[in-house]
Amino acid sequence: MSDETESNRPAATAGPTDETEQTVNTSTGRVGPAFDHRTTVIARTVVRVVVPVVVVTALALLFQGHNRPGGGFIGAVLTATAAVLVYVIFGLEYLQSHLLGIDSSPNEPHAPTGWYRWLFAGGLALAAGSGMFPLLAGLPFLTQGVAFVHGLPIYGELEVASALAFDLGVYGTVVGGLLTVVAEVGEE
Amino acid sequence: MTQWLLAAVLGLLFALGTFLVLRRDVVRVVWGVAIISQSANVYLVTMGGLAGAAPIGDFRGETPPPTDPLVQALVLTAIVIGFGTTALALVLTYRVYEEHGTIDVYDLGGEGL
Amino acid sequence: MIEIVLAVVFLPFVGAALAPAVYRLLGERTAYYAAGVAAVCLALVTRLYTAGVGLDGGTRYAVDWVPALEVSLALYVDGLALLIAFLASGVGVLVLVYSGGYMHGEPGQSKYYATMLAFMGSMLGVALAGDLFALFTFWELTSLSSFLLIGHYTSADDSQYAARKSMLITVAGGLFMLAGFLLLAWAGGTTLIAGGDDSLVATAGPTIETLRSVGLFVPALLLVGVGAATKSAQVPFHVWLPNAMEAPTPVSAFLHSATMVKAGVYLIGRFRPFFLGAEGGGAHGGGAAGSRGSGAAAGTGGEGAAGEAAGEAAAAAASLLPEWSVVFVTLGLATMTVAAVLAVAATDIKELLAYSTASHLGLITAGFGAANALGAETGAFHILNHASFKAALFLVAGIVAHEAGTRRIENLRGLRHDLPVTAVIAALASLSMAGIPPFNGFYSKELLFEATYELGHELGGTAWLFPVVAVVGSVFTFLYSIKFLSLFLGDRPDGLGHVHRPPVSMLAPPAVLGIVVLAVSAVPNTAIDLLVGSVYDSTVPGAAHGFSIPFPPSKLKPAVIMSAITIGVGAVAWPQYDRLHHGIRRVLAGPVRANWWYDNGVDGLTSGGRDVGEWVQTGLVRTYAAWTIGATSLLALGGYVVGEVGLPALSVPPGMTPAIVLVLLVAVVGAVAVTAAPSHVAGVLTLSILGFMVAIFYILADAPDLALTQLVVETLVLVLFLLVLNRLPAYYGQPSPGRALRDGALATLAGATVFLTVVLSTSATPSEPLSGVLVERANLPPGEHASVFTNYGGGSNVVNVILVDLRAADTLGEISVVAMAALAVLTLIRMRTRGDTR
Repeated sequence: MSDETESNRPAATAGPTDETEQTVNTSTGRVGPAFDHRTTVIARTVVRVVVPVVVVTALALLFQGHNRPGGGFIGAVLTATAAVLVYVIFGLEYLQSHLLGIDSSPNEPHAPTGWYRWLFAGGLALAAGSGMFPLLAGLPFLTQGVAFVHGLPIYGELEVASALAFDLGVYGTVVGGLLTVVAEVGEE
Repeated sequence: MTQWLLAAVLGLLFALGTFLVLRRDVVRVVWGVAIISQSANVYLVTMGGLAGAAPIGDFRGETPPPTDPLVQALVLTAIVIGFGTTALALVLTYRVYEEHGTIDVYDLGGEGL
Repeated sequence: MIEIVLAVVFLPFVGAALAPAVYRLLGERTAYYAAGVAAVCLALVTRLYTAGVGLDGGTRYAVDWVPALEVSLALYVDGLALLIAFLASGVGVLVLVYSGGYMHGEPGQSKYYATMLAFMGSMLGVALAGDLFALFTFWELTSLSSFLLIGHYTSADDSQYAARKSMLITVAGGLFMLAGFLLLAWAGGTTLIAGGDDSLVATAGPTIETLRSVGLFVPALLLVGVGAATKSAQVPFHVWLPNAMEAPTPVSAFLHSATMVKAGVYLIGRFRPFFLGAEGGGAHGGGAAGSRGSGAAAGTGGEGAAGEAAGEAAAAAASLLPEWSVVFVTLGLATMTVAAVLAVAATDIKELLAYSTASHLGLITAGFGAANALGAETGAFHILNHASFKAALFLVAGIVAHEAGTRRIENLRGLRHDLPVTAVIAALASLSMAGIPPFNGFYSKELLFEATYELGHELGGTAWLFPVVAVVGSVFTFLYSIKFLSLFLGDRPDGLGHVHRPPVSMLAPPAVLGIVVLAVSAVPNTAIDLLVGSVYDSTVPGAAHGFSIPFPPSKLKPAVIMSAITIGVGAVAWPQYDRLHHGIRRVLAGPVRANWWYDNGVDGLTSGGRDVGEWVQTGLVRTYAAWTIGATSLLALGGYVVGEVGLPALSVPPGMTPAIVLVLLVAVVGAVAVTAAPSHVAGVLTLSILGFMVAIFYILADAPDLALTQLVVETLVLVLFLLVLNRLPAYYGQPSPGRALRDGALATLAGATVFLTVVLSTSATPSEPLSGVLVERANLPPGEHASVFTNYGGGSNVVNVILVDLRAADTLGEISVVAMAALAVLTLIRMRTRGDTR
């Protein structure tokens, strides 16, 4: 195997000191955090328009998933995609401080992921917790039910599925998990 | 004939994935795993039947039977979990590179990782 | 009564659990606590006995154990069970009292007493087990406690070696036995052993028919036989027993002479009525007829049968020597003789007794093996006799080793001067072991002689070897017994230092056993009436016919002549003992010794295992992947070949449109491009081609949810890959041609396996797939909606209803995986500065 091309990166020294020597790796092409300075006006404008649409679509998929295509998993990955779009075009800093309103102060550089972490932990707790309620009624764990509410304005009859709580849990877990991964990798 | 074609396609995808898994470059190993899981998903969906309507709606009447929703549910979670594990594998690769300065499995194996 | 039976089995375990706490309070006097527990068990067993439970046919008790699997803890009380229970608890009391003196100042006493009690419970469990599961469980527990007790001196190499050896051999044998049990349970449709109309013994005929019809009768017999042979140290598995003498002497007396090694012969006795049940009826009748009168009467019967018709004679011969007898008479007589010869070659008193134990267990095995009534009598009676004299001898050996400080035979002589009481006990016990009248060992040996003589007489030809071998084995038994006795005779050698007097706690137990020997010797018929008769009943199929004791002989029977030959030849050979001893030791070298096979086998396995490990466990990802993929492929392909799966006819799966074919072909092109990609970025982009083609495939396959998810996930994967690749080195070059060829071959194998699997499995779709039920239950039932439904999913998107309702627990697990992956990423990146990196 003598024909390997040596990487032009020096052998990494582990730890945070690595942050200071982000040399450009010409052989892989330049992608990644540098986007925030090189994106075009067109890209920024398009993203400004598209991201709200994506988020609304994601929520629609989540809530209508019981009866039409969609569901917690799909809604979650789509939401994560919206966040990633903003991240790729505007940068992580913008996403977290302007959109999500989290200050990543120098003392607490990892605050956003702390927030995501709560999201996936909470989602898991919601999914599991929603399954506990049937136990109170003597039904097996995770039994789901459907209730019909009559006489509502606009809707008339509305079908409320207890499975929605579980689906919200799925949504939270997957969004939180994916955003954690993306944010952690992106911060590097 | 198309059944054999389908089998041949899946066999080829698996073979290519296997070949990649045996490479010395960890990134290629991750690709190999990704290809293998993609083709496993395709295989599962095919097992559920390609004919039939999407499994959405009420199928208890005289309507034709839908495609198998069970395999679709399986594959749906498999896709999301596959993403999770791919991400984990990538981050592991990154950390391995940070720690050892290489992503060549020969060098890594020699160090008794 | 069921409370008593359960208490007998479980009280010792409770006692064992409390032993460490008691040791803190009582210290070395824990011995008497343990003896007390054993005494309570003995009292409970006696209570069962005096209540007459199991004396006339067995009684079964059952409590639910695993009701869901219809497994109950069945306990079965009959003569055989009572005898073994008496031995375990009675010898237990004596040995634990003895331990109080012997273990004085020894390390690890709290563990010792706890294990002894646990062993006693296990042995009582084996004795009283009425169910295959219970029997196997307690059986393995005895192996386990034996392991702990043999390895009592945990830091000594010999002790470790011996413990490992006994564990390896007895537990491996136990696994063979388990396989045999599974066969029996399958064929009989029950796991109950005996008692009632539904047990294995009661349904022996049809069960054996079933086994024979599939050719598994002999395998089942052999599997159970291996279990018994390993436990009872039968040739060639006898090698663990002499090493087991590394244990403290009370353990040797308890486990390795009186009780645990009896588990093997107990098993043989327990299954004797089953395996002889179907075709053994005739043999039993013939045997019983023979045993009623003298050998001459049996002879007439045999000749009559031969005179009638050659065919019938052959049938009679076959039924007289069923597979059962071929296996166990041969095994037993071989062990009896080989172990007796080895005992003559022994240089250590405990080694001598160990080989002698194996030899006597061989005698019992041979007895149970003979398919006539005399055989069952031999086995039943000798279990009791052997336990009495051999436990006494072990305790005597313990006294000698403890007080004289050596176990070397050549250094010991004239001990009667220092140990007069011990000498009397030793004399009684060794004369009984030698088979000299009028001691009890003589009676049971006499029965074996009769049983083998009858076999020889009725079968003729090579069957005459049975009595001959029995006599040869007995001659050696005579020789080593007298050798043991001679330790106490003659003058004190100069080399022997001061010999202490043993404490009462060490002297009383062997004295009690000596009295038992004397009592059984004096009134053998009483012993038989009291217990041994019903032991015999438990080991014969069908109704039993009583018991006959051959002494005093009314006329000069062949067996009496055989005994006379034994004693005569033994007496003549005695002066040549040393020459025999050295001669045998010279022959014992290399492959002649069973130990040679054991040691080389274990060494070979150890080094072989290490080699395989180095080969498979290289620390390289590709090695693991190659082994896993290769092995899986070969197993799957092998399965298809073995299963003779035919290739299906060519057909087009419904819904397979040209569009799908095209999309899939593009996906393959994408995968090829990934494999050939010159750089990471090129690879990731082409990987996306594959991913998006799969998304289109999902659209065409009418799976909208999948298509949506796949599209979005593919985008996320692309971004993530690009983020990470930015920080990684570019490219690692092309593989060498040789390696590429090898990997290509393996990849082709994997691809071929998948190809075949897809072809076979897509053509085998079930007629009523599970999805029908799910589709049915996803929606609400038609009609007027009530306000709340809980039995239906209540949604039109069947896939989503499956995820969040019908199979919600699965989804919960899956989102946990996602959460875990996120946590792992967090840990990997965030916590890298904590702890040691590199």
